[in-house]
Amino acid sequence: MNDRVPVIVFIGQPNCGKSTLFNAIAGFKAQTSNFPGTTVCHAHSQVVWKNRVYSIVDLPGTYSLTPQEPQEKVVLTHIFGEKPDLIVNVIDASLLCRSLELTVELLELEYPMVVVLNMMDLAEKKGMKIDPVALENKLGVPVIKTVATRGQGTKELMDRVEKILAEQTTPRHLRYSGEVEGRIKKLIEMLPADFPVIANPRFTAIRAIEAETLAVDKFFLENNPEFKKGLDRVRQEISALREAPAYEVLAAERHHLALKIFEDCCRVRHARLSSLEKLDSLIMHPVLGLFLLLLIFAGMFYLIFRVGSPLEAWLLKPWEALRLGIQERYGHNLPAELLVGLVQGVGGGVAIVFPYFIPLLLLMGFLEDIGYLARAGFLMDAFMHRLGLHGKSVPLFILGFGCNVPAIMATRILESRRDRIITALLIPFIPCAARTTIILALVAFLLGPWWALGFYFLNLVVVAVLSSILTRVFKYSSPGLILEIPSLKWPSPKNILQKTYFNLKEFVRFAWPILIAGSLLLSFLSFLHFDRLVNAVLTPLVSGLLGLPSSLGVTLLFGFLRKELSLLMMFQALGVSYGQLLSVINRAQLLTFVTFVNFFIPCLSTLAILWKELGRRVALISVVLNLSLAVLVSWLVRLAFALF
Amino acid sequence: MFGHKKDRVESPPIVGGVCSLLEIPHGHKFRIAEINGGAGLHRRLLALGFHRGDLVALDGEALLGGPVLVKNLNSDTRIALGRSIARKILVEPADEHER
Ligand SMILES: Nc1nc2c(ncn2[C@@H]2O[C@H](COP(=O)(O)OP(=O)(O)OP(=O)(O)O)[C@@H](O)[C@H]2O)c(=O)[nH]1
Ligand SMILES: [Mg+2]
Repeated sequence: MNDRVPVIVFIGQPNCGKSTLFNAIAGFKAQTSNFPGTTVCHAHSQVVWKNRVYSIVDLPGTYSLTPQEPQEKVVLTHIFGEKPDLIVNVIDASLLCRSLELTVELLELEYPMVVVLNMMDLAEKKGMKIDPVALENKLGVPVIKTVATRGQGTKELMDRVEKILAEQTTPRHLRYSGEVEGRIKKLIEMLPADFPVIANPRFTAIRAIEAETLAVDKFFLENNPEFKKGLDRVRQEISALREAPAYEVLAAERHHLALKIFEDCCRVRHARLSSLEKLDSLIMHPVLGLFLLLLIFAGMFYLIFRVGSPLEAWLLKPWEALRLGIQERYGHNLPAELLVGLVQGVGGGVAIVFPYFIPLLLLMGFLEDIGYLARAGFLMDAFMHRLGLHGKSVPLFILGFGCNVPAIMATRILESRRDRIITALLIPFIPCAARTTIILALVAFLLGPWWALGFYFLNLVVVAVLSSILTRVFKYSSPGLILEIPSLKWPSPKNILQKTYFNLKEFVRFAWPILIAGSLLLSFLSFLHFDRLVNAVLTPLVSGLLGLPSSLGVTLLFGFLRKELSLLMMFQALGVSYGQLLSVINRAQLLTFVTFVNFFIPCLSTLAILWKELGRRVALISVVLNLSLAVLVSWLVRLAFALF
Repeated sequence: MFGHKKDRVESPPIVGGVCSLLEIPHGHKFRIAEINGGAGLHRRLLALGFHRGDLVALDGEALLGGPVLVKNLNSDTRIALGRSIARKILVEPADEHER
């Protein structure tokens, strides 16, 4: 073999554990969760195994090779555009029968391939006995059992990968029934000499037949009317065989192949109802399920607050002491001011953000891994319909509570562009973990947990109202919900910890430098009295409209970088310590300010991802929408306090 | 365990012809007879492993005209379908020996 780095792609149906397996081999790099459609963009990593380098690519899940959702198209570009050296077809062994349909399709590519039976633990619990040797014989490719969450089977997998790559063995496709196979052969003979053959002529012919009703079909017509005529004739013949559209006939052929293999290689004993299945009937109960949903979210924020607030009080003390010590000792000169800025930046990150951020990440990780996201989508679908969206947006909003950026990326799982745009415009209004932290640290800590809960409620009402307005503007009826509900899975604590650690690391890496640099910059600006200029410009808005001290103006500029920055800088700008905050501003002002910052333009990274995913126009609309709503709602909050 | 699934135990004989997924009782086995609606929906369901001839059962539904939960008994997977979509899927009672 030459010394080019071999490319290995992980392909499989959504939620079969590709990313978990990828992480087990390459170290934690890809997000995982028990929700079909977690990965929407490829992740790759170089791995060294027995002194050889491999490039491993984790792809989004795809149900079949006829792509229907944007993230599924990513898979095709990888298979067709950048021909991989080896395909690792990951299968959820507990769903063996359905998963084999994609395997049959992948075998048709006749690329070197290895099949991974992942989630063997779940399959065994379900009473499935799978015979790997029989399966290997039927499929003609190596079959390896793994439990990705425990890292079991990864060594065997890499050994097999190495062997297959060295031997360059390619599998043979499985044969459909004779009459269908005959029609495919006929089309292969019709393929024009200059036809762009993918993988091999048979695979190309099958894809062409299945392209019926897809956009590619028009391309055939325009480029080669002669071929299109022949293609349509073949389709008609195939369709006449079973009295069904040709694409369904081919899908049914694969289904029968998969079913036959499944029956030959797998025995199922009936297992008892597991405790998780009993729990599932509670979660999915039409009435109790909704109660549980409310309870889970209220309980979650209560828990985070109970854990976070004593921790916050305890952690703040040394930083406060340090700040006061510096000011007492060195007075007001530039180095001292900068030092104070540094202490406030670092202290804010450690004492105010961490106590709430970490429990929130842990709890979100738990909900994701047990499989609650899809279930919340199911329960909330009816409400979402009243707001003009459907239940598939709910998991995205819940993701948004963690961080808006991946939530906007994940809007790729929505089929219609209209739903995508509306959901992406709404997500910046969902308070992400960093903002939640601030809401809990300021509103709940200083005013009491009920105020924070009220604030959350207000936030959700704003999202709901905005959603029904937006969906009226972009009129068009939603295509209706189709969402796979994955089985509930006991989360692995190791995975949750890894995920939390990974997200925390990202936060420390990207947010901290900004928090600290922001604090330093503000100290510097205020030392030069430059902040007064900014404050003067913003006075009409800050003091006039919102009734806040004009010294808060400058913090809004920083809020564009990260929203929690403006809130943390309140103290610095007002020149008070955390505990004394309510001595300089009152309750109404605090809430008005928090409201304004919460809805204020999406932070830089959110804006960047909006731009990248949905274009400049949507990003611009988002800015305008957020700004105007921030002004409106915070003004209303001020008004409400003035009146009552 | 919870009320809405009780009817799984008692099994009144079901007779009759084809009806939509919205009209069948919980927990009984039915066979997919026809998928109406466009090619897009048809392909999507095929990809999710819902074929003509598969055995399915209604496994739950959400409040207020929310989606229904459909279990595919052949592949042991479950999908949530909005009512507008469930209405387009026609089923017939499964044969006696399959119940
Ligand atoms: N019990 C068990 N759970 C697993 C195993 N492998 C993965 N999981 C869990 O299954 C869920 C899905 O895993 P992912 O790795 O996100 O799946 P994926 O194939 O990348 O999914 P998409 O990106 O949505 O296509 C996660 O909650 C994992 O913790 C396994 O071998 N056993
Ligand atoms: Mg993934």
